[in-house]
Amino acid sequence: MRFLFRKQRMVKALVEAYLDNLRNVQQTFSRAIDSCLGDDASCDFRTLVDETHRFESRADDIREEIKTLMYSKVLLPESRGDIMGLLESIDQIPRFFEIVLNIIRTQKLAIPDLLVSDVRELVSVSMEACDLVFRQVEDLFQRGRRIPELLDVIDKKESQCDIIERRIITTLFDSDIDPFLKIQLKELVVLLGDVSDQADRVSKRINIISLKRRV
Amino acid sequence: MLPILGGVFLGWSLGANDASNVIGPAVSSRMLRFTTAATMASLFVLMGALLQGRSGIDTLSGLTRMNLHQAVLASISAAITVTLMTIGRLPVSTSQAVVGAILGIGLVNRHIDMTGLGKVVTCWVGTPVGGAIMAMVVYRTLAIVNNRLSLNLLESDALLRIGLVVASSYGAFALGANNAANVTAVFVGAGHLSVPSATLIGGLSIGLGILTFSKRVMVTVGSRLVRLDPFSALVVLLAEAITVHFYTFVGVPVSTSQAIIGAVIGIGLLKGIRTVNKRTLLSILSGWLLTPIIAAALVLAMLRYN
Repeated sequence: MRFLFRKQRMVKALVEAYLDNLRNVQQTFSRAIDSCLGDDASCDFRTLVDETHRFESRADDIREEIKTLMYSKVLLPESRGDIMGLLESIDQIPRFFEIVLNIIRTQKLAIPDLLVSDVRELVSVSMEACDLVFRQVEDLFQRGRRIPELLDVIDKKESQCDIIERRIITTLFDSDIDPFLKIQLKELVVLLGDVSDQADRVSKRINIISLKRRV
Repeated sequence: MLPILGGVFLGWSLGANDASNVIGPAVSSRMLRFTTAATMASLFVLMGALLQGRSGIDTLSGLTRMNLHQAVLASISAAITVTLMTIGRLPVSTSQAVVGAILGIGLVNRHIDMTGLGKVVTCWVGTPVGGAIMAMVVYRTLAIVNNRLSLNLLESDALLRIGLVVASSYGAFALGANNAANVTAVFVGAGHLSVPSATLIGGLSIGLGILTFSKRVMVTVGSRLVRLDPFSALVVLLAEAITVHFYTFVGVPVSTSQAIIGAVIGIGLLKGIRTVNKRTLLSILSGWLLTPIIAAALVLAMLRYN
C-alpha cells in the first residue's frame, strides 16, 4: 500500500534529508577523531570541527522545517508528537559529537598512546550503533519490519561500548598520567560513551513508536 | 406549521446531544476540525433520514394514539429533557426521552401498544451490549488487518485519517436513518405529517443541532470516559454506526449514545477495565435511567396544566 498524501510525502522527504545530514555530521566527526588519533594526518582537525558544527546547525534547520510542516496539521496529533520526540532524541547524537570535538579543541587534549587503540574501538562501535539507528529510522518510514532486529543489535553495540568505556577508564586510572589530565580524559571518554547510550535510547523509542502502530 | 416547531426543537436537541457520538472521537482526538466534522455529519444525517428514516417512524408512531396537541407536548418535553442533559454534558438517549414522553401520553389516553413497547425496551438493553460486542469484534478484526498490512508510520497515519472520515460519515448516516423517527414520529402518529416530510424535517433539524450546539457533550464521550487512541476511536465509531444501523433495519430507533458508550466500554474491556472512568460511567448510567422518567413526568405535568 503506497498511498501517501502530498504533505506526508514532504515530511518523508525532509526526514530523509535530515538523516543524510546526520550521516554527514557523523562522517566529519569520525574524520576529526581519526585526525586526533593520528590515523589521518591529511585532515585538518579545526576545519572538520567547523564542518561538524555547520552540519549540526543544518540538522536543526531541517528539524524546524519538519516541525513547521507537521504543525500545519499534516499528520494526526499522535504521529506529530512521535516524530518530533524522535527527532529531538536523535538530535542529541550530533550534539554529543560537537561537545566531544569542542572539548578536544578548547582543552587542547591529546589522546595518550596507551588509550588510542581502545578509543579507536569505542568510536568505531559507537559509529556502528549510529549507522544502525539511522537505518532503523528509515525503516520506520518505509516498512518497519527490521526495527526489532536492529534494536537487538544496537543494544549489543551499546553494551560493547560500556565495556570498552570501563576498560579505558580503568587503564587511564591505572596509569601514571597527570591526575588533572586523567579527569579531562575521563570526561571525554564518558561523553564518547554517551553516543552509543543515546543511540540505544533512540532505538528503543523507535521500537515503541512502531509497536504503538501494531494493535 | 407551528406545532412542528416542537419537533424541530427536539431534532435540534438530538443533534446537539448525539453528534458527539458520531464525530466526538474524531474531534476530541483532534483528527478532524469541529466545523469540518459537524458540516459533514449534518449532510450525512440528512441523507440517512431521507433514505432510511421510514421504518423507525412506523414503530414509534404506532406506540400510542395521540392528537396533535399531545404530539407537540410530547416532543417539547422530550426536547427539554435532552437539552437539560446536554447542558449537564451527559450523552443521553433521545429515544428514551421520546418514548418516555409517548408513554406519559399513553398513560393519560389509557392506550399503549405493549408489543411495540416491549420491542423498543428490549432494543434499549441490546444497544449498549451490542455496541460493546461489536466494538470487540471490530477491534479484533481491524487489528488483524492492520498487523497484516504492516504499514509504516505515514501510511498508518493516512489510513486512520481516511478510516475516521468514512466511519464518522457512516455514523452520521446511521444516526439520521435511525433517529429521524424520534423527532417527527409523533406528528406522523397524530396524522399531521407524511413520512417523507417527517424524514426531511427530522434530518434537517438534527443537522441544525449538530452545527450549532454539539460541542459540549463531545468532550464527555471523546475524552472523559476513556482516553481514545486514534485506532480505538476508529473502532468505536464503526461499532456504534454498525450497531445503530442494525437497529434501523429492525425498525427501532435506538440511542447512539448507548451504542457508543457500549463500544467505548467494549474497548475498555479489551484493554483492561481500569482504563474506564467509573465515575463518568455512573453519571452517564444515571442519566439514562432518569431520561424516560423525566420526559414522562414533564409531559404529564404539561398535560395537567394545559
